[in-house]
Amino acid sequence: MAQLELVDVSLRDGNQSLWGATGLRTAHVAQIAPVLNRVGFRALDFSSSTAMGVSVRTHQENPWDLLRLTRKAMPDTRLQFIGTGFRFISWERAHPEVMELVYTSLVNAGMDRFVVLDPTHDMDAVRETARIIKRAGGTGAEVIAALTYTVSAAHDDAFYAGIAAQYAACPDIDRAYVKDPAGILTPERARTLLPAVLGALNGKPLELHAHASLGLSPLTCLVAAGLGVRVLQVGCGALGNGTSLPDAEKLVANLRADGHTVDVDDRLLAAVARYFDSVAEAEGLPAGQPREYDAAFMHHQVAGGVMTTLRRQLSELGMEYRFGEVMEEVGRVRAELGYPIMVTPFPQMVIGQALANVLSAHSPNEAARYDQVPDQVIRYVLGKFGKPTMPVEPSVLDRILSRPRALELAAEPPPLSVSELRHRFGERTGDEELLLRFGMPGGEVDGMVAAAPPVTHYNPDLQPVLRLLRELAGRRPAAELTVDKPGFRLSVRGGQRD
Amino acid sequence: MSGRHGFRRVLVANRGEIAARVIRTCRRLGIETVLTVSDADAGSVPARLADKVAAIGPPPAAASYLDVDAVVGAAVAAGADAVHPGYGFLSENARLARACAAAGIVFIGPTPETLEASGDKLAAREHAVAAGLPVLPGGHVAGPEQGVELAGRIGFPVLVKAAGGGGGRGLRVVRDPGELGQAVAVASAEAEAAFGDGRVYLERYVSPARHVEVQLLGDGQRVVHLGTRDCSVQRRYQKLIEEAPAPLLADGLRGRLHAAAVALGEHLRYRGAGTVEFLVDPEREEFYFLEVNARIQVEHPVTEAITGLDLVEEQIAIAEGRPLRVRQQDVAFDGHAIECRINAEDPRRDFLPSPGTITGAVFPAGAEVRVDTHVQAGATVPPHYDSLLAKVIARGADRGEALATLRGALDRCAVDGVVTNLEMHRGLLADAEFGKGGVDTGYLGRFLESVAYVQENHGSA
Repeated sequence: MAQLELVDVSLRDGNQSLWGATGLRTAHVAQIAPVLNRVGFRALDFSSSTAMGVSVRTHQENPWDLLRLTRKAMPDTRLQFIGTGFRFISWERAHPEVMELVYTSLVNAGMDRFVVLDPTHDMDAVRETARIIKRAGGTGAEVIAALTYTVSAAHDDAFYAGIAAQYAACPDIDRAYVKDPAGILTPERARTLLPAVLGALNGKPLELHAHASLGLSPLTCLVAAGLGVRVLQVGCGALGNGTSLPDAEKLVANLRADGHTVDVDDRLLAAVARYFDSVAEAEGLPAGQPREYDAAFMHHQVAGGVMTTLRRQLSELGMEYRFGEVMEEVGRVRAELGYPIMVTPFPQMVIGQALANVLSAHSPNEAARYDQVPDQVIRYVLGKFGKPTMPVEPSVLDRILSRPRALELAAEPPPLSVSELRHRFGERTGDEELLLRFGMPGGEVDGMVAAAPPVTHYNPDLQPVLRLLRELAGRRPAAELTVDKPGFRLSVRGGQRD
Repeated sequence: MSGRHGFRRVLVANRGEIAARVIRTCRRLGIETVLTVSDADAGSVPARLADKVAAIGPPPAAASYLDVDAVVGAAVAAGADAVHPGYGFLSENARLARACAAAGIVFIGPTPETLEASGDKLAAREHAVAAGLPVLPGGHVAGPEQGVELAGRIGFPVLVKAAGGGGGRGLRVVRDPGELGQAVAVASAEAEAAFGDGRVYLERYVSPARHVEVQLLGDGQRVVHLGTRDCSVQRRYQKLIEEAPAPLLADGLRGRLHAAAVALGEHLRYRGAGTVEFLVDPEREEFYFLEVNARIQVEHPVTEAITGLDLVEEQIAIAEGRPLRVRQQDVAFDGHAIECRINAEDPRRDFLPSPGTITGAVFPAGAEVRVDTHVQAGATVPPHYDSLLAKVIARGADRGEALATLRGALDRCAVDGVVTNLEMHRGLLADAEFGKGGVDTGYLGRFLESVAYVQENHGSA
C-alpha cells in the first residue's frame, strides 16, 4: 500500500473544463488560496496562457498580479503553469526569445512548476523548452513533461515508453505525467501502459492526469495507485468530475479504502470543496457531475474545456441545436488531418475547421467542405506546429495548400524577437505588459490597464443579497417591496431619508 | 513526508473584539479556532464565531483570562498547535510563553526573553539606550543642590517625580530654576510620606508632546517597520483616537522614528508584531523612547488600512517559523486611516464604565470603513472587563478624506442599552483643532473642558 499525493487542478483545468475558463476571477481565487495552501496538495495546476488571456479579456484583471498574489498566499504549495512552449496567449508561434521572457516572467511572478507539453510529442521541442525553463527558474523550478494519451494505431505502450525513456534521460525534466485530456484511459489499458512508462522513467516520479469525462478516471486512478503512480490529479467540489478531473474527496476516501495513505487535511479539503460548490451556486455556474461511459466519444476525443467553449460559441450563434452535427464533423476532420492528439491547440484548430465546414455546407455537399480554412489549419498543414504524427489525407492536403493564403502563410515572416516587440510596443513597456501586448489585441490590454484594481475577497453567501440590492437599486422607486414565503417575510417601505 | 503546513488549530486566549478579529483571520486561513471563555462570555459573539470554546473559569479576569495554568490547560486539552493571546490579559506574560513552550505549543508572540526585556520599564529603557535610542534626559537626585545641577544639564522645564511613586502623585513641573530647590525638597518630603521612599527623579518635561508609535514586524533575524501611528488623543494613558500615519511630522523626524524603532527591534532580535512608543516634542522635532508593546495593539487596524497587510496573519506566519514575508521595500503606505474606540463609558461622568445589555447596535458598512466589534443587539457588556465595544476605522486617500468618511460612519452608528462615548467622538471629529491634525496629549483634556463635560460632571455627580 502506498503513500499518495494529490495535485489539485480546480483553479486551472477545473475552471477551464467546466466553466469555459471564465468562471473564476481574482476575488474567487484570492479568497480560497490561503486555505488551499494548507490542505496538503503537492501542487496546484494554476495557470496557462489561455487563463491569463481570459483574465485580461473577460475580467479586465492583471493576470500577473493574480500570480503574485496567489504565490504570497500559498508559500508552501507549488504553483503550476501549463504551456506548449511555442506560443503565449495568441495561437501564433512565438520567437524562442519571447518564450524565454515568458518563462522568466512567470518564475519572477512566483510560478515554480511547469508542464512541458508538445502536442506532437516533438522531443527536440520538449527538451528545448525544458532547458529554457530551467535556465529561467534554476533548480527551484520543477519541470514535468507530458505523455499525452490518445487512442490510435500509432500510440501504443511502446510509443509512450519510448518517450518516457527520453524524459528519463533529459536532465532538465524532473518528472512526467500521463495526460488524458479526453478521459479515455481505461483501467485495462492503464494496467499495461503505466508499468511500461514507469519502467522507462527509470525512477523519475509519474503522475496521472485523467479527465473524468467518461466516468473512467476515478477507477483508473485507483488502479494507477496500485501500479506505482504516486501523484494523482484531482478537482474539488463543483470543480471536480464532469469533464474535469476526479473528485478529490471521493478519490481520497476510495484510496484509503484500498489501504493507501493520503496525507491531506480532510477538514480543509472539505472546506475547499464546499467553497467551490458555493461559488458555483452563487455565480450560476454548473457543478461537475459524475459522468456515464459514452462509446461515441471515442470518435472525436474532444476534451471537456474545448467542448464547453464550443457549446458557448454555438449558443452565441444561435446554433446550439447543431452541436451533434459539428461533433460528427470533428471526427472526420481529425482523421483527415492525421489524428492530431486532441490537446491544445489542436482541438481548437480541428473544431474551427469542423465549424467552418458545417457552416459553409448550405446543402450537405462534399465540395463545400474546406471552402473556408482557418489560418491555424494552414499553418498546421505547413508543419509550423511540428510534424503531424500521421500524414494528412492527400486530397485535403492539396485542397488546403492550393489556397492563395497557403502561399502567403508559407512566406510568413518569422515571429518577432523581444527587441522587435519592444520597438513596436515601446521601449519603456514592462516585460509583463509587453508579453500581454504581444499575445492579445491592444484594446483588450488597454481595458485591463484602465480598470480599477480587482477585489481580492469574495463571500459566496452574500451574492444573492448583493444581487437583490443591485436589482432593487435599478428599479423605479416603489412604495413598498415585500418578499413573502412560508416562515419568512421581508418588507421594505419607501420613504424620506431621515 | 508530510503534505500539510502550518498550524491546524489555534487557541485564542482572549475575549471581545480582538478575539473576533483573530478568529476572522484564522478562518480565512483555514485554521480551526478554539476560544477560551469565562462564564461571563459563554454566550458572546466571539464564542459563536469560534469553531469550539473552552470554559476557563468564573467571570473575574484573575480567575479566568489571567490564569496561565487554565489557558495552557485549555490549549493542551483542545489539541491546539498554538496560542494567540490578543492584547491585554496574558499577551505579554513571559510565564505563559514559557508554559506554552513546555507543553509543546507555540506562543504567537515574542520570545519570553523579549517579553521580559520589554515588560520591565527600566530594563526596556536600558535596551533602548544600548540600541542608541534617545530617552528622556533625567536621573535621580540626592538633594536640592544636585537637583539644580542636574536640571541645568537637562534644561527647563523639568518634571520632578517621586522615584517610587505612581498615579500622578508627587509630580510637579518646574519652569523657574529658582523654584527647583524648594520643589525637590517638597517632592521628597511628600514622597517619603506617601510611599516611604524619599528618592526624587528629574526628567525633561516635554510639553506640548505627542504620542507617536512605530509598528514593527520581526522574525528573529530581520525587522521591518510598518510606519507610524499617532495616539495623542488620550486620557490617563487610555487612547481614544489613533491614526496612521502620524500627521504633520517633518519627514526627517518620521524617518528617524522609523530607524530608531527598527534599531531597537534588531537589538532585541525581535520576533513577532510589536510597537515602539515614543514621546515626540513637536517644537524641537525631537523624540524619546517610552516603551515597547510586545503584542498586537488595539489600534493595529489603522496600519493595516494603509499598508494592505493583515497583521494577525503576519503574526501567525512568523509563529509558524516562516521568515518575514515582506521586505522593507515592499511596504507601501497608501492613504490615511483614523480609528475611534467606541467604549461603554460616560464621558460626562468621568468616563464611568457602563456595563449592561445592548438593546440595539447598528454599525456602518461601506467602502473604506471597517468596524471591529464583538457586540450586537442582545449582547451583554460584563462589568469585569474593559469597556471597548467597537473600533470604527475609516481610510481615505488623505487625512481629510479619511476624516470625512469617519464622520459619516460615526453618524450611522447607534448603540442602545448602555452609555457610550459616541457623542464625544462625533464632537472630536467635528473639532477644528483635531481637524487640523497633530494635536498633543493635552488636547483631549482641553477639548472636554471646552465642551463643558467636566463642569457637568462636577455639577451632576
